Amino acid sequence: MAASGQLSVPDQIRQLEGARKLVLGDVSYYPQVIQATLPIIGPTAQVEFRRWGADFLSEAFATPAVALSQKETLSLLVLETLVLLAQDPKQDPMVLRSVIQTAASIYPLALRWTINNPYDTAAWDHMSAIKSRILRLWDTAAVTVRICCVKFAQRVVLAQMPSVNAEPRKNDPLDVSLAMIPSGHPALDKHSLEAEASGLLDRTLGVLQDSSSEVLIVDATLNALSILIRARPSASNRILNAIFSFNPLKLASVPLTSKTKVVVRSMEKTTRMLLAHLARRDPRNPHAPRIQQYLERLMASKAEVLDGGSRKRAHGEPPSGLEVKRQRMGPAQPTFQVSPLGAGPHSLADVFALTQNAGLRSFDVSQVPATLAAKISVNTIARIDASILDRAIEGVRERLAHLHEAARQAPSPETTALDVEDDDDYEPYEPAYGPAENDEQILNKLDSEPSSQSRELQRPAVLSSLGLPTFKLPPPQPLNPNQAVKVGQGTVARVFGMMSGLGDPAMRRTKVGVNRLAASSYDRDAWITIITRLATRSSAGLNGISVKDEDESAPASAVHLGNSIRESLYTYVLEDFRKRIDVAVSWLSEEWYNDKVQQKSASDPGSSPLHYEKWALRLLDSFLPYLHAQDKVLTRFLSEIPEINAALLSRVKTLCRDPSMITLALTSLLYLVMMRPPVREIALDTMQGIWLEYEEARPSAARHLAKWRPTFLEDQKQASEGSGQLSMGATTAAAST
Amino acid sequence: MDVNGAPADAAVSTSQPPAQNGIEGVGSSGYKLKFCTVCASNQNRSMEAHLQLSKANYPVISFGTGSLVRLPGPSITQPNVYQFNKTSYDSMWKELREKDEDLYTRNGLLKMIDRNRGVKWGPERWQDWQIGIPRLEHATDRGSEGIEGGVADVVFTCEERCWDAVIDDLHNRGTPLNKPVHVINVDIKDNHEEASIGGQGILDLANSLNKAAQEEREAVGAMSFDTGNAASRASFDERVPDIIGEWQERWPNLPATWTLAWF
Repeated sequence: MAASGQLSVPDQIRQLEGARKLVLGDVSYYPQVIQATLPIIGPTAQVEFRRWGADFLSEAFATPAVALSQKETLSLLVLETLVLLAQDPKQDPMVLRSVIQTAASIYPLALRWTINNPYDTAAWDHMSAIKSRILRLWDTAAVTVRICCVKFAQRVVLAQMPSVNAEPRKNDPLDVSLAMIPSGHPALDKHSLEAEASGLLDRTLGVLQDSSSEVLIVDATLNALSILIRARPSASNRILNAIFSFNPLKLASVPLTSKTKVVVRSMEKTTRMLLAHLARRDPRNPHAPRIQQYLERLMASKAEVLDGGSRKRAHGEPPSGLEVKRQRMGPAQPTFQVSPLGAGPHSLADVFALTQNAGLRSFDVSQVPATLAAKISVNTIARIDASILDRAIEGVRERLAHLHEAARQAPSPETTALDVEDDDDYEPYEPAYGPAENDEQILNKLDSEPSSQSRELQRPAVLSSLGLPTFKLPPPQPLNPNQAVKVGQGTVARVFGMMSGLGDPAMRRTKVGVNRLAASSYDRDAWITIITRLATRSSAGLNGISVKDEDESAPASAVHLGNSIRESLYTYVLEDFRKRIDVAVSWLSEEWYNDKVQQKSASDPGSSPLHYEKWALRLLDSFLPYLHAQDKVLTRFLSEIPEINAALLSRVKTLCRDPSMITLALTSLLYLVMMRPPVREIALDTMQGIWLEYEEARPSAARHLAKWRPTFLEDQKQASEGSGQLSMGATTAAAST
Repeated sequence: MDVNGAPADAAVSTSQPPAQNGIEGVGSSGYKLKFCTVCASNQNRSMEAHLQLSKANYPVISFGTGSLVRLPGPSITQPNVYQFNKTSYDSMWKELREKDEDLYTRNGLLKMIDRNRGVKWGPERWQDWQIGIPRLEHATDRGSEGIEGGVADVVFTCEERCWDAVIDDLHNRGTPLNKPVHVINVDIKDNHEEASIGGQGILDLANSLNKAAQEEREAVGAMSFDTGNAASRASFDERVPDIIGEWQERWPNLPATWTLAWF
């Protein structure tokens, strides 16, 4: 409580905030304001003032607005207060946090000051006192304080290990490192400082080796390591080895609560981001292959642990149903009986249903994804007691025999259900590539046709005819071309719907190391192959014929089916072109192949319509505006599509209108120059074009051209010399003034 | 400060927050965490969240991580592209209205940019942000009060890609400020409706986080670690994963990712 007559605490804080606003507006006031506030925020002040003051100091020494030389001078003012604040055993944790952050910012400054002023030992003594206090706190303090200790240790390691730059860099005076400490310094012993740094590094990395999984400390550590790995070569090996042996998913084995999910995801993603950052920043790093390996392994086990788990939970209904089943089956085992079916109509499902539980019986198994169902079936079959299986099979056999008996006696069409759907699975002779009618359409047809046909259809549902030797599907009505196109489009739409629903996870799987072999990843590829061939080949060659011998509507629709699939493919790829570029490539390869085949077989090579170039251009045009400078997708696209021409490359050239995309455009072209000799010349022509057209791209383009087409640059030089004597003169004149 | 601003169908895709986390925010007094919102173009999701957080009286700034500001154009191949930090929302609004008022009214672009001009001058790029440089010149921005120091306690990104870009950028910067920052991704689809729902989700999370931070500050002395009380009351930092876990149960359609990083 403030004494009466004085300002209240909030009022004083408001005043202090006023002073802070002043220095934020003009940092040259920092020395005065710090000196004026130090007595108010000292170790004996009320906690509100200590908090404000420590926070203020941490801000002052962190802000890049204050020059480092000024910070160095300022640090000498505050060190003593920092020591006192840090050493109070009952210090408020929030004050401690700010004090440690301040100390981390000051540490390299104090070291540099001591290096340059060897006889001022007071500053270094203070700094050492703060350091030993912080290193003790590292063991005992609350986690929120300990993360700051980790960061402080990072600064110490950075300052006391040899830098990647042998000479201290002039443009980064903060890059204080062991190299700056002269041997024989009266206050600083180079070797013990390096040994201390080495010990602190081990202690920092310890959190990755411990089984203790304090996520804050793990994240805080990982997120502080990048600069050490990059700038301190003697530390990088040890750090990377520690990360490689770290398993961020170790917590994933315990039951996942909402908090552990957050924690596991956090550690996994934080580890992955650090390594990905290192790989991206320096792809030629000798550790790059190991980083790649680790990341692949991590993705694989994450897919197993997290995706597997979350997928089960995502489909809320099926697993709960399955769990019920498991519980039910357990106790029922000893007295397992298959009850005979009663009188009345039965569905096929009834015949095979072994449980009496109404809920389970009504459960729609088709909701379970096929892969999951397969997994469950395999597991169940592997574990099931053979005698129970035998008894179940026997029971079902008896039911079927019984039904055969009953059917022979009373085939009553009136009482049978119109249950076409249930039999679908059971009809091996239904052609899978048949008419694109869905169940509803078939049912509709049944409703509208009261003829003998429908009687015939009713019969398969009658269980009496389970043998079904004579049943045949009624022949479909001939479709007129418009219906056919409509139905065809419906099928295509369904395939795309399925691909976007199921395709993406399968896609991710294929990238996952060993799982590459899993047959499940075949699905999406198979569908893409079907759909692309449907687009390219189904109607190919028909166009010419139909024009001749049918009326106008027919050829139009024939063309439409192929093109409407192409439109759908185009939209599908563009919806997520980074992930679906492989679809684009296989599609374009099919188009190219088809174009070639058509040209060969056509009597007049010019007559058959060509699709490859049109669609390649459309795709490229559409995703170019959305590229980022780091996108690999363009290079991949250009290198994998079957044919490249000048028109395509001219689109790439236009990328250079955005200066940030120049590198991407040139890299993609360079890749073509190096890896696709047949298009080398046109790729180089394009590069030339870029050089001529885009001033900003000249330096990079010239570098590549100098290697691959040196004559061009020489010609340009000569040309400009030849034609530009005048301007040359002007330039030299300008330079001399 | 009324909830009427919330779209009526918010409950369709996400559950409403429980009562203790009202939309009201912190009022004008009391301790406030400083927030930063980030999306790709600093137009839709981060700006909606910026507005909602500032309406609830939180200090907040916002950024985009893309290389350019990209807005839909007349076709997929003709986006409207602008430079970060150089083009104001006002000039974009005028330009688009000029180009095709009908189209950009229909797709909601004009309404969105009009909202943005009321929040701040123009889109800012995360990678160009000088962290820790005072931002006094932004005094007229909404939510600028309290974040003059140019540093945030919590960064909310609105898409996994942006979270990745933010973390990668922090690694690149080399953590010179020694200041911890919670970086939380809240995955929001990039359309107007989802942005509005996502903004409410972010505000709800911000309220929960701020409540924990306030409780930590009120517990003066009680947490002194040397007196053995450390375990009795967890700090704000330690409670963040719990808070996100609980929040995730309230907002199952906004998947979240979190880490503790350094400025």
